[in-house]
Amino acid sequence: MKTEKDILGASRDFLTKLLTQGLVDYLLVPLEISHGRTLAQTLVSNPAHLDKANPFSPLLPVSSASIVSQLTIDHPGKKLGAVMKPCEIRALIELVKLGQASLENVTIIGTDCLGTYEVEDYAKLIDKMKGVVGKKGAKVLDDMRQSIAEPDAKPLPISLRPACRMCNSFTPLLADITLGLFGMQDGVFFSLESKLTEKLGLEIKEATDRQSAIDRLLVSRTKAREQVFAEFRGKMETIVDFADCLNTCIMCYACSSACPLCYCRVCFFRTDTFEPESERYYRWADREGALRMPTEILLYHLTRLNHVAISCCGCGMCESACPRNIPLTTIFQTVGDGLQKALNYVPGRSLEEEIPLATIPEVKV
Amino acid sequence: MTKFEPKIIAFLCNWCAYRGADLAGTSRFHYPPNVRAIRLMCSGSLDPVYVLKALLDGADGVLIGGCHLGNCHYQDGNYKAMRRVEVLKNVLRQVGIDEERVWLRWIDASEGGLFSQTIQQMVDELRAKGPNPMRKPWQVWQETIGCQPPGIEAKPKKEKVA
Repeated sequence: MKTEKDILGASRDFLTKLLTQGLVDYLLVPLEISHGRTLAQTLVSNPAHLDKANPFSPLLPVSSASIVSQLTIDHPGKKLGAVMKPCEIRALIELVKLGQASLENVTIIGTDCLGTYEVEDYAKLIDKMKGVVGKKGAKVLDDMRQSIAEPDAKPLPISLRPACRMCNSFTPLLADITLGLFGMQDGVFFSLESKLTEKLGLEIKEATDRQSAIDRLLVSRTKAREQVFAEFRGKMETIVDFADCLNTCIMCYACSSACPLCYCRVCFFRTDTFEPESERYYRWADREGALRMPTEILLYHLTRLNHVAISCCGCGMCESACPRNIPLTTIFQTVGDGLQKALNYVPGRSLEEEIPLATIPEVKV
Repeated sequence: MTKFEPKIIAFLCNWCAYRGADLAGTSRFHYPPNVRAIRLMCSGSLDPVYVLKALLDGADGVLIGGCHLGNCHYQDGNYKAMRRVEVLKNVLRQVGIDEERVWLRWIDASEGGLFSQTIQQMVDELRAKGPNPMRKPWQVWQETIGCQPPGIEAKPKKEKVA
């Protein structure tokens, strides 16, 4: 189904209808704040606030999967509509399987993702732009759309987040409603149940070149992805090479806080499990005559790889959160890819498919 | 120079492998004294973090001993251990750590002989492998080239210390 209005106008109308017609009571959707210099996921109950909504927000300050987990873990019984990007939906599906979120009464409104910018880059971009304050967000989206639709278009003024540059899963998989952009000249593509279409009084038209637009982007992204993988895999010969990537880690745990899948309430790295009495550090220092402090950098990252790589959805929140710019997306995506292929598991693909760690392998006794 | 003797940390299930080790002792089966046993209630309760901790603190090998499949005291703990170790080994392989330093073996309470054989075999293989590079973590950090802040060229060549 197509609409003739501009993207944001059409999708705001649509979201307003969802709220006013009572299909959902609350909407989780990115809203422009700070005069459009940034966007934040917002829980909206009054549709009047949707005039600042941008479901295609090119920012991912926090993974909405974490937010939906927070909003649904104790089964509040509220009808929630969550506007989410494909990577966020994948993470949410994983969290549901891990018992950390519920889809009861939740309508997932998935959006096609044009990629996202780092928050600070976006603010700078908006500051540089001329024009009406309220229209700048729409202009950014238009530019992003064009750069994808026309191969010869001028490159984006700032680069996408590393995770997005290598993302090959940019259309929502398990959404109840899809807000599509790919292959649309103008307007938005909605895919929803026909019953819903009638109820909302929408007109049905066909989206023509959606698939070919998706395929085109898929080719270039997959190429970028494979290149990142090959580069990383080519490097990892010994533990030194791995340590090399993590050399500047300051053990701030920002990556684990930002990761939607690192869900433990109390991580044992933040308890004294690996923080012995001080005496022991001196003894360790005596072994080699020198001891790197903090000591557990490799242990921390390897443990996180063991715990979440199998479900890694490639949102890259870890790298965006890292104050040292450690290439965490590359590490987690590459190792995750190897692991997921070995165990024949695709995170976020299906709700029924169990996480391999929770299944009993078929072995003949 | 003193001969290299591998250090092995063994995480043993209370119901089988640990009792197998006990039986090896009471039956006077000899096995090399390179192993430090840690008793667990189930191999399935072992988080990979403890295996990693042992490896990264310089243990040359880690043995995880559980009940034979189908014999778990808690129904399916050993299957869980199997999955975790599968994931762990895959990750280790991908980041340049020798996965063969981690062994998962099923040893029954009645298999004292198997326990001693397993340790002997593991010690032999680890001797052949040589010490875990993480015995010298400081040297590992010394050998890294180092992430450079954006905009600064990293040093072109890395020299491997033999």
